[in-house]
Amino acid sequence: MTITQAAATRTVDLVRERVGAGLVAATQPHADTLRLQVDKRSVRAAAGTLADELGARFMITTGIDRRELDGGFGIVHLFSLDREHLFVLLDCAVAADDEHIDSITPVVPGANWAEREFRDSVGVHPEGHPDPRRLLLADDWPDGVWPLRRDVPYNLQPPPAEGMRPPLREPPAGASVVTMGPFFPVLEEPSQWRLFVEGETIVGCDYRGFYNHRGIEKLGEAVLTYNEIPYLAERICGICGFIHSTCYCQAVEKAAGIEVPRRARFIRTIMLEMERVHSHLLWLGIAGHIVGFDTVLMQTWRIREPLMWLSEEISGNRKTYGMNTIGGLRRDIPPDLASKTLNVLAEVERESLAVRDAIVGDGTLMARTKDVGVLTNQTARSVCVVGPPARASGVPIDARVDHPYAAYDEVAVRIAVHQEGDTWARVLVRVEELLESIRLIREALAAMPEGPVLAEIRDEIPPGRVGVSVVEAPRGEAVHMVETGGDNRPYRWRVRAPTYPNLQAMPAMITGAAIADVPITLGSLDPCFSCTERVEAVDVASGCVRVYSRADLLRISRGAGAKP
Amino acid sequence: MLLAKLREAWICLKAGRVTLPYPFAPHDPAEGFRGKITLDPDLCFGCGGCANVCPAGVIVVKDTDQHTRLLEFFWRRCTYCGRCEEVCPEDAITLSQQFETATNAPEDMFMRLEVFMGPCQRCGRCFTPPTPLERMMRTGFRDGNGGRA
Repeated sequence: MTITQAAATRTVDLVRERVGAGLVAATQPHADTLRLQVDKRSVRAAAGTLADELGARFMITTGIDRRELDGGFGIVHLFSLDREHLFVLLDCAVAADDEHIDSITPVVPGANWAEREFRDSVGVHPEGHPDPRRLLLADDWPDGVWPLRRDVPYNLQPPPAEGMRPPLREPPAGASVVTMGPFFPVLEEPSQWRLFVEGETIVGCDYRGFYNHRGIEKLGEAVLTYNEIPYLAERICGICGFIHSTCYCQAVEKAAGIEVPRRARFIRTIMLEMERVHSHLLWLGIAGHIVGFDTVLMQTWRIREPLMWLSEEISGNRKTYGMNTIGGLRRDIPPDLASKTLNVLAEVERESLAVRDAIVGDGTLMARTKDVGVLTNQTARSVCVVGPPARASGVPIDARVDHPYAAYDEVAVRIAVHQEGDTWARVLVRVEELLESIRLIREALAAMPEGPVLAEIRDEIPPGRVGVSVVEAPRGEAVHMVETGGDNRPYRWRVRAPTYPNLQAMPAMITGAAIADVPITLGSLDPCFSCTERVEAVDVASGCVRVYSRADLLRISRGAGAKP
Repeated sequence: MLLAKLREAWICLKAGRVTLPYPFAPHDPAEGFRGKITLDPDLCFGCGGCANVCPAGVIVVKDTDQHTRLLEFFWRRCTYCGRCEEVCPEDAITLSQQFETATNAPEDMFMRLEVFMGPCQRCGRCFTPPTPLERMMRTGFRDGNGGRA
């Protein structure tokens, strides 16, 4: 019996012991996925058992409108038992005439946003949630229109609701409010932080984000087909596009039981690590830029550029490679490009080492990052932070090791872990990962077998299957969950980008800090707002006060008389 | 500290000038780059496979009468994924090396192709004259249109 199998048995037994008849059924759709169907009244107890007693890490919640299948909604909490390589789905049925479920946030603090999100998108209310404000819908989106319900058309544009206010939190008594955003000054992305300050010291904060809704999940379920979604998934993020398309394809491949050729798995590994190398170089530059050390920005981006050209040669594009498809890849890496890759990597490694040696000895970056934005190990675990921020706080999780995918079962990863939890530790973790990624690409290129890169798919993908897939993005772990459906498209496709849990750690990281440290603290999470806010609502121009009318904006942005 | 500053200065000086002279000198993309779609009207027989697989819904197929099939390419929405090129059974579509597609007039980013077809005596829909059934069995038709017109 494998560790995973033993863990699955233990999990089922323990949950049954704690909730008794509340556990309706336990199935194992895949070797690494356990699905527990629990009664909705037992969900908090079951989640508490998983998180506290078994040490499971909360990943994400999916709200599914299953009314056309079984007359109700499904709320699926996804947990990961990292050491045991097991995903646990807590699947609760919610009747259509009683749209309430117990909130699990009191026992799993990391579920905060996920629960507010399914309230906003499918309209199932988490009872007992400590902060039940609107999270992802636009401020003028009318109440009672739940965009991810299947009877809501994907292109619905309801009239803006009147008199709706952004759900802002009141500052504590005696504190003043300093607003950062909605266009965040250093990252050039929309995110609004309201900092509650006493003098220069931050005593609390409030976040209002999700200005970047693009309705991606809804499009995937309502408009596109299985093989069209990879190109949409790729556009979830501008930096880690390949990660999202790989993650989506893996989820579908797992659900449908498609075996990907070994060479394709190796090439996916190589491309994923290349994205990590160039993303970490990019981040290092941004971090330098945020603290006003632009030499780092210029030099790391210069070092990064040959990698982008190489990506263009391999895939046909600098970014959004368009290489992934269900069952494998559309392009192979020919031998001459493989040797060129090694040359480019040698140069990148040499130059990165030079930059590393220079900045480690230079006090400038360290003075602005040491002991700044400390994320304690305990907070990192309770908020379920992922990726480099978690590893810099002594939480040794990495999807490449915990849930091996692509060729990571054959190419062993050494993960970088630091204990300090400050921004400097996050810099060090990323620099170490960058060098490790270069080593991984070399190893994967050497071990890459010959053969086809695309499996031929003859049968239709059966409906009603579930697939969970994770990919370790440069920013942390990306999660995609697919429930297959008819019509050649998923019934439900859920995306969670790594910034989603990481941003929730921000309040703990900046409390007690000075305002000047906020940008680099946020920057050190390597946040990506577009990724985080990929979700449901089909957003229209907001109704707040402005100079242009909506019609003006549309006219300006679309051009007069243009075709669709 | 001073040593680190000297190292940084050395890194910058050694790199020298790296900015490319583009747009004053041409900058050709790598081979295999996916740029603007180009059509060979002589090769297209109007199977519509490209329209079936296009994720952005750029390609629209219409039968205007019994002899003419119209393929419209609203390629300002094109994402340059190259799926159309991949499924085209006649290699009528290729993604060129052209990337300088900015324009002030959106209607520039529109192509229209009329394919002369023969009408089917039974169903009335049109097809190209030689062995149409055989051709319709090929790559482009397999994926299904995913519920879209």
